Amino acid sequence: MADADTDRLAARRPLSPHLTIFKPILTMTMSIAHRITGAGLYVGMALLALFLLGAAIGGGAFSAVSWIASGFIGNLLVLMVVWAIFHHLLGGVRHALWDRGLYMDAKGRELLAQGTLVGGILLTLLVFIFKTLAS
Amino acid sequence: MTVAARFKSGRTGPGDAYVSDHSGSPHARFMRLTSYALVPLGMLSAWWILGLAGKPLEAVRAEIGRPIPALVLLAFGVIGMIHARRGMDDIIEDYVHDKALKAQAIVANTWASRVIAAIWILAILLIAAPK
Repeated sequence: MADADTDRLAARRPLSPHLTIFKPILTMTMSIAHRITGAGLYVGMALLALFLLGAAIGGGAFSAVSWIASGFIGNLLVLMVVWAIFHHLLGGVRHALWDRGLYMDAKGRELLAQGTLVGGILLTLLVFIFKTLAS
Repeated sequence: MTVAARFKSGRTGPGDAYVSDHSGSPHARFMRLTSYALVPLGMLSAWWILGLAGKPLEAVRAEIGRPIPALVLLAFGVIGMIHARRGMDDIIEDYVHDKALKAQAIVANTWASRVIAAIWILAILLIAAPK
Protein backbone atom coordinates (compact mmCIF):
# COMPACT_ATOMS: atom_id res chain seq x y z
CA MET A 1 0.00 0.00 0.00
CA ALA A 2 2.64 2.45 1.09
CA ASP A 3 4.82 1.16 -1.74
CA ALA A 4 2.11 1.82 -4.31
CA ASP A 5 1.69 5.37 -2.97
CA THR A 6 5.42 6.05 -3.16
CA ASP A 7 5.57 4.61 -6.69
CA ARG A 8 2.74 6.87 -7.76
CA LEU A 9 4.45 9.87 -6.23
CA ALA A 10 7.73 8.89 -7.87
CA ALA A 11 6.01 8.62 -11.23
CA ARG A 12 4.59 12.12 -10.78
CA ARG A 13 7.90 13.62 -9.72
CA PRO A 14 9.18 15.92 -12.48
CA LEU A 15 12.08 14.45 -14.45
CA SER A 16 15.12 16.40 -15.51
CA PRO A 17 14.40 17.57 -19.07
CA HIS A 18 11.26 19.68 -18.71
CA LEU A 19 10.75 19.67 -22.46
CA THR A 20 7.17 20.88 -22.24
CA ILE A 21 7.95 24.04 -20.24
CA PHE A 22 11.29 25.13 -21.70
CA LYS A 23 11.39 27.59 -24.55
CA PRO A 24 13.27 25.76 -27.33
CA ILE A 25 16.76 27.29 -27.56
CA LEU A 26 19.73 26.36 -29.71
CA THR A 27 21.98 24.90 -26.99
CA MET A 28 19.14 22.64 -25.81
CA THR A 29 18.32 21.61 -29.38
CA MET A 30 21.97 20.71 -30.03
CA SER A 31 22.04 18.68 -26.80
CA ILE A 32 18.98 16.74 -28.00
CA ALA A 33 20.49 16.42 -31.49
CA HIS A 34 23.64 14.97 -29.89
CA ARG A 35 21.60 12.20 -28.30
CA ILE A 36 19.50 11.58 -31.42
CA THR A 37 22.56 11.38 -33.69
CA GLY A 38 24.15 9.00 -31.16
CA ALA A 39 21.14 6.69 -31.18
CA GLY A 40 20.92 7.07 -34.96
CA LEU A 41 24.55 6.00 -35.34
CA TYR A 42 23.76 2.86 -33.31
CA VAL A 43 21.14 1.94 -35.92
CA GLY A 44 23.38 3.13 -38.77
CA MET A 45 26.24 0.93 -37.57
CA ALA A 46 23.87 -2.07 -37.41
CA LEU A 47 22.72 -1.45 -41.00
CA LEU A 48 26.28 -0.90 -42.23
CA ALA A 49 27.39 -4.11 -40.48
CA LEU A 50 24.70 -5.99 -42.44
CA PHE A 51 25.78 -4.24 -45.65
CA LEU A 52 29.43 -5.20 -45.07
CA LEU A 53 28.47 -8.80 -44.26
CA GLY A 54 26.47 -8.95 -47.50
CA ALA A 55 29.47 -7.59 -49.40
CA ALA A 56 31.72 -10.17 -47.73
CA ILE A 57 29.45 -13.09 -48.67
CA GLY A 58 28.59 -11.71 -52.12
CA GLY A 59 26.02 -12.98 -54.64
CA GLY A 60 22.43 -13.08 -53.36
CA ALA A 61 23.46 -11.80 -49.92
CA PHE A 62 24.83 -8.60 -51.48
CA SER A 63 21.68 -8.05 -53.57
CA ALA A 64 19.65 -8.47 -50.37
CA VAL A 65 21.52 -5.71 -48.52
CA SER A 66 22.59 -3.38 -51.35
CA TRP A 67 19.57 -1.10 -50.66
CA ILE A 68 21.41 0.04 -47.51
CA ALA A 69 24.02 1.95 -49.52
CA SER A 70 22.62 2.37 -53.03
CA GLY A 71 19.57 3.84 -54.68
CA PHE A 72 17.76 6.87 -53.27
CA ILE A 73 17.21 5.39 -49.79
CA GLY A 74 20.75 4.01 -49.58
CA ASN A 75 22.42 7.25 -50.66
CA LEU A 76 20.29 9.22 -48.21
CA LEU A 77 21.08 6.73 -45.44
CA VAL A 78 24.85 6.91 -46.04
CA LEU A 79 24.73 10.70 -46.19
CA MET A 80 22.76 10.79 -42.91
CA VAL A 81 25.27 8.45 -41.24
CA VAL A 82 28.16 10.67 -42.38
CA TRP A 83 26.36 13.79 -41.15
CA ALA A 84 25.53 12.06 -37.84
CA ILE A 85 29.21 11.11 -37.40
CA PHE A 86 30.33 14.73 -37.91
CA HIS A 87 27.53 16.27 -35.83
CA HIS A 88 28.09 13.85 -32.95
CA LEU A 89 31.87 14.31 -33.25
CA LEU A 90 31.61 18.10 -33.01
CA GLY A 91 29.13 17.69 -30.14
CA GLY A 92 31.82 15.64 -28.41
CA VAL A 93 34.48 18.31 -29.07
CA ARG A 94 32.08 20.81 -27.47
CA HIS A 95 31.90 18.60 -24.37
CA ALA A 96 35.70 18.26 -24.33
CA LEU A 97 35.99 22.07 -24.34
CA TRP A 98 33.42 22.39 -21.55
CA ASP A 99 35.34 19.74 -19.56
CA ARG A 100 38.25 22.18 -19.56
CA GLY A 101 36.06 25.07 -18.44
CA LEU A 102 36.20 26.81 -21.81
CA TYR A 103 33.31 28.48 -23.64
CA MET A 104 30.96 28.10 -20.69
CA ASP A 105 29.59 31.65 -20.70
CA ALA A 106 26.38 32.54 -22.55
CA LYS A 107 28.19 33.81 -25.65
CA GLY A 108 30.63 30.89 -25.71
CA ARG A 109 28.08 28.13 -25.44
CA GLU A 110 25.88 29.79 -28.07
CA LEU A 111 28.90 29.95 -30.37
CA LEU A 112 29.66 26.25 -29.79
CA ALA A 113 26.03 25.29 -30.45
CA GLN A 114 26.08 27.22 -33.73
CA GLY A 115 29.47 25.73 -34.58
CA THR A 116 28.17 22.20 -34.02
CA LEU A 117 25.15 22.76 -36.26
CA VAL A 118 26.93 24.59 -39.08
CA GLY A 119 30.15 22.57 -38.79
CA GLY A 120 28.37 19.22 -39.05
CA ILE A 121 26.57 20.24 -42.23
CA LEU A 122 29.68 21.93 -43.65
CA LEU A 123 31.97 18.94 -43.03
CA THR A 124 29.39 16.59 -44.60
CA LEU A 125 29.17 18.82 -47.68
CA LEU A 126 32.98 19.10 -47.89
CA VAL A 127 33.50 15.34 -47.71
CA PHE A 128 30.68 14.83 -50.23
CA ILE A 129 32.20 17.33 -52.67
CA PHE A 130 35.75 15.97 -52.30
CA LYS A 131 34.52 12.39 -52.65
CA THR A 132 32.58 13.29 -55.79
CA LEU A 133 35.65 15.03 -57.25
CA ALA A 134 37.93 12.11 -56.31
CA SER A 135 35.80 9.46 -57.99
CA MET B 1 37.20 0.97 -15.58
CA THR B 2 34.03 -0.38 -14.03
CA VAL B 3 31.47 -1.72 -16.45
CA ALA B 4 28.06 -2.20 -14.86
CA ALA B 5 26.40 -5.27 -16.33
CA ARG B 6 22.97 -4.07 -15.28
CA PHE B 7 21.29 -0.97 -13.93
CA LYS B 8 22.24 -0.23 -10.34
CA SER B 9 19.99 2.31 -8.67
CA GLY B 10 21.35 4.99 -6.42
CA ARG B 11 18.32 4.49 -4.17
CA THR B 12 16.70 1.47 -2.55
CA GLY B 13 13.00 0.83 -2.21
CA PRO B 14 10.18 2.36 -4.23
CA GLY B 15 11.11 4.78 -6.96
CA ASP B 16 14.54 3.21 -7.39
CA ALA B 17 14.06 2.92 -11.14
CA TYR B 18 13.94 6.72 -11.38
CA VAL B 19 17.46 7.60 -10.37
CA SER B 20 20.69 6.77 -12.16
CA ASP B 21 23.28 4.37 -10.82
CA HIS B 22 26.43 5.05 -8.79
CA SER B 23 28.89 5.00 -11.69
CA GLY B 24 28.45 8.49 -13.15
CA SER B 25 32.08 9.64 -13.09
CA PRO B 26 33.67 6.43 -14.46
CA HIS B 27 30.97 6.43 -17.13
CA ALA B 28 31.71 10.02 -18.17
CA ARG B 29 35.45 9.35 -18.20
CA PHE B 30 34.94 6.18 -20.27
CA MET B 31 32.87 8.08 -22.86
CA ARG B 32 35.52 10.83 -23.05
CA LEU B 33 38.42 8.40 -23.48
CA THR B 34 36.70 6.38 -26.21
CA SER B 35 35.60 9.59 -27.94
CA TYR B 36 39.22 10.79 -28.23
CA ALA B 37 40.00 7.67 -30.26
CA LEU B 38 36.78 8.08 -32.25
CA VAL B 39 37.62 11.61 -33.47
CA PRO B 40 40.29 10.56 -36.02
CA LEU B 41 38.68 7.15 -36.61
CA GLY B 42 35.27 8.76 -37.21
CA MET B 43 36.56 11.34 -39.67
CA LEU B 44 38.46 8.75 -41.70
CA SER B 45 35.57 6.24 -41.53
CA ALA B 46 33.09 8.88 -42.71
CA TRP B 47 35.26 9.31 -45.81
CA TRP B 48 35.33 5.59 -46.62
CA ILE B 49 31.70 4.95 -45.65
CA LEU B 50 30.63 7.69 -48.07
CA GLY B 51 32.74 5.90 -50.69
CA LEU B 52 30.51 2.82 -50.38
CA ALA B 53 27.38 4.63 -51.60
CA GLY B 54 26.05 3.38 -54.91
CA LYS B 55 29.04 1.11 -55.61
CA PRO B 56 28.83 -2.36 -57.17
CA LEU B 57 30.09 -5.38 -55.18
CA GLU B 58 33.62 -5.43 -56.63
CA ALA B 59 34.14 -1.72 -55.93
CA VAL B 60 32.88 -2.10 -52.33
CA ARG B 61 35.28 -4.99 -51.77
CA ALA B 62 38.16 -3.02 -53.33
CA GLU B 63 37.40 -0.02 -51.08
CA ILE B 64 37.32 -2.08 -47.86
CA GLY B 65 39.97 -4.55 -48.98
CA ARG B 66 42.92 -2.16 -48.71
CA PRO B 67 44.81 -2.48 -45.40
CA ILE B 68 44.45 1.07 -44.02
CA PRO B 69 40.68 1.49 -44.62
CA ALA B 70 40.14 -2.05 -43.30
CA LEU B 71 42.09 -1.38 -40.09
CA VAL B 72 40.51 2.03 -39.51
CA LEU B 73 36.96 0.75 -40.13
CA LEU B 74 37.67 -2.25 -37.90
CA ALA B 75 38.83 -0.01 -35.04
CA PHE B 76 35.93 2.39 -35.66
CA GLY B 77 33.40 -0.47 -35.52
CA VAL B 78 34.79 -1.95 -32.31
CA ILE B 79 35.50 1.23 -30.33
CA GLY B 80 32.38 2.85 -31.79
CA MET B 81 30.11 0.05 -30.60
CA ILE B 82 31.73 0.02 -27.15
CA HIS B 83 31.02 3.78 -26.94
CA ALA B 84 27.54 3.33 -28.47
CA ARG B 85 26.61 0.62 -25.97
CA ARG B 86 27.38 2.89 -23.01
CA GLY B 87 25.58 5.76 -24.70
CA MET B 88 22.49 3.63 -25.29
CA ASP B 89 22.68 2.57 -21.61
CA ASP B 90 22.34 6.29 -20.78
CA ILE B 91 19.25 6.60 -22.95
CA ILE B 92 17.66 3.50 -21.41
CA GLU B 93 18.44 4.67 -17.87
CA ASP B 94 16.94 8.08 -18.63
CA TYR B 95 13.74 7.04 -20.36
CA VAL B 96 12.76 3.52 -19.24
CA HIS B 97 11.19 3.76 -15.79
CA ASP B 98 9.91 0.22 -15.32
CA LYS B 99 12.52 -1.60 -13.25
CA ALA B 100 12.17 -5.02 -14.91
CA LEU B 101 11.94 -3.54 -18.40
CA LYS B 102 14.98 -1.36 -17.70
CA ALA B 103 17.05 -4.38 -16.67
CA GLN B 104 15.93 -6.33 -19.76
CA ALA B 105 16.60 -3.37 -22.07
CA ILE B 106 20.14 -3.02 -20.73
CA VAL B 107 20.85 -6.73 -21.27
CA ALA B 108 19.35 -6.52 -24.78
CA ASN B 109 21.52 -3.48 -25.51
CA THR B 110 24.66 -5.25 -24.28
CA TRP B 111 24.08 -8.20 -26.59
CA ALA B 112 22.87 -6.14 -29.56
CA SER B 113 26.03 -4.02 -29.45
CA ARG B 114 28.21 -7.15 -29.19
CA VAL B 115 26.44 -8.78 -32.15
CA ILE B 116 26.77 -5.62 -34.27
CA ALA B 117 30.50 -5.38 -33.45
CA ALA B 118 30.98 -9.10 -34.17
CA ILE B 119 29.25 -8.87 -37.58
CA TRP B 120 31.28 -5.75 -38.35
CA ILE B 121 34.58 -7.50 -37.49
CA LEU B 122 33.67 -10.70 -39.35
CA ALA B 123 32.60 -8.86 -42.50
CA ILE B 124 35.75 -6.72 -42.73
CA LEU B 125 38.02 -9.69 -42.02
CA LEU B 126 36.24 -11.75 -44.70
CA ILE B 127 36.76 -8.94 -47.22
CA ALA B 128 40.23 -7.73 -46.26
CA ALA B 129 42.13 -10.73 -44.88
CA PRO B 130 44.72 -12.13 -47.33
CA LYS B 131 43.31 -15.22 -49.04
